[in-house]
Amino acid sequence: MTLLRLPSATAPARPAVKARTRRGRADRKPRVLIAVTGLFFALLYLPIAVVTLFSFNSKKSLTVFSGFSLRWYRAFVHDDVLISSLGTSLRISLVAMAGSVVLGVALALGLVRCRTRLGSLAGLIMLVPLVTPEIVTGVASMLLFKGLGVALSTGTVMLAEITFSISYVTVILRSRIAALNPEVEEAAMDLGATRWQAVRLVTLPALLPAVLASAVLIFALVFDDFVLAYFTTGVDPQPLSVRIYSAIRFGVQPTINAVGTLMLAGSVGLIALALFIPRLFGRRGGLDILSGE
Amino acid sequence: MALLRPSSRIRRRGTGGDRIWTWLMVPGTLWMTGFLIASLVLVAVLAVGTTDDLGNPRFGFDLSGVRALADPAYSEVLARSLGYALLTCAICLLIAYPVAYTIALHAGRYKHALIAAIVVPFFANYLVRMYGWSVVLSDDGPVLRTLRAVGLADGNTKILNTGVGVVAGLVYGFVVFMIIPLYAALERLDVSLIEAGRDLYGGPVRTFFFVTLPATRQGAAAGLVLVFLPAMGDFVSAQLMGGPDQIMIGNLIQDKFFQGQNWPLGSALTMLLMLVLLIGMLGYLRRTRKDEAEARR
Repeated sequence: MTLLRLPSATAPARPAVKARTRRGRADRKPRVLIAVTGLFFALLYLPIAVVTLFSFNSKKSLTVFSGFSLRWYRAFVHDDVLISSLGTSLRISLVAMAGSVVLGVALALGLVRCRTRLGSLAGLIMLVPLVTPEIVTGVASMLLFKGLGVALSTGTVMLAEITFSISYVTVILRSRIAALNPEVEEAAMDLGATRWQAVRLVTLPALLPAVLASAVLIFALVFDDFVLAYFTTGVDPQPLSVRIYSAIRFGVQPTINAVGTLMLAGSVGLIALALFIPRLFGRRGGLDILSGE
Repeated sequence: MALLRPSSRIRRRGTGGDRIWTWLMVPGTLWMTGFLIASLVLVAVLAVGTTDDLGNPRFGFDLSGVRALADPAYSEVLARSLGYALLTCAICLLIAYPVAYTIALHAGRYKHALIAAIVVPFFANYLVRMYGWSVVLSDDGPVLRTLRAVGLADGNTKILNTGVGVVAGLVYGFVVFMIIPLYAALERLDVSLIEAGRDLYGGPVRTFFFVTLPATRQGAAAGLVLVFLPAMGDFVSAQLMGGPDQIMIGNLIQDKFFQGQNWPLGSALTMLLMLVLLIGMLGYLRRTRKDEAEARR
């Protein structure tokens, strides 16, 4: 504005120079921002790197690396308690995955397509676990089982994990279902399919990538979950994360580095798989699955 | 289409109509109501109940659990938890903003890869990550060794077993909850707004505070809530990174249920935690409603 009003020939020189430096500044790489981001990534991965590195240490130390060795992995394989905990965790994850995917997919379909008052109530209930800290849901589940007189066991962990995984499945699938064109279902019905056939033969196959991705994600989340498992597990072989918790609390055992590294590798692999699944089906990357976009 | 509509509507009604959607919702909703809503109600009921000699819950109306909350020892822990959680929120915002900004506006085609690099380890085991972080922050861990080498710390400086350690643990645990909504907000930001700010002779700082920051306010607000919720309820960080004098409300709850066997008091503490979080949530909802109302005007 001021530029236009200036009449003299000398005056525009300054703003013009200024404009050039400004443009230049905008184009220059923001070094400070990049440095901060780099430091952030370093600190983000440092703990993971330390656990992984010292899982291969030949000595017990956590500060001095004294040579490559697999002794802590061997110790883990021969530790019957940890191995049975691994089995418990795998069983819990499989059951929770199957249960929550079946219930969650049905719930998500209903929530998107049914616009009644019952539907909005169900939508609210589904959101509760996402805004409640895990310790509260853990305490609440434990009290429920105790109140019903059910002894805490692997089974109670499975029930609790299903309950909280339903929300994740539903959130992931909701946006995907909303993006589907309901007229395709109607077209199937015009061609003679019943509503149920249309859902089974048209809608569910279209949702398959998202369903698979959410199943893998739930498996990883449940396998890694500690708080819920801690509150709802009994005395029979406890889930791996609960075992790790007691091991960390009562002095560090290097075996935990090996178990931890295996768990990190396992979950990173599963999450990467969940991200990759939509691409297998020729869709763009699945990052939105994790960020809930 | 208009001709086809009536016939399809008739057929739909003939095969059970839209009731199928309602029926699909029923199992999941019943499950959640039975296992989640009922159990939360149970916590509230037990907060005013008692336990028998064996520790089994007895329902009744007894305010001893709630009355015990008046003990100043508990308000001290609550105040510390609130302080740590709010500090964690502030630090997470300060870290997450530049990181999200750099990735959203300057990472080009590496954007998605970098965000995945932040999100993926976050989904890995929380305990293992926390444990690794506690090793990193330990007295002869890499962070303190680096600080000592550049003269920012001496031999007596400690991070573990202090409040700094607890907050560092909480930040490490939950910073990704801040980055994701901020990144989403910055991604959606119209870059021409920033250019307009520059064209109007706003320096980078002024443009940031008058253009970028207000435009991403909602992402920051969502991030603050997402960090505050788990930070308030966490008990692992205070246990691994803090000493016995650094406990938070989560540690108290855990203790009342596992060591103390005082379930009514544990339930009362859980309800107190829920109350604090509810106040935070309501504040957030009011804020976003106001923002939406302003945007509509």
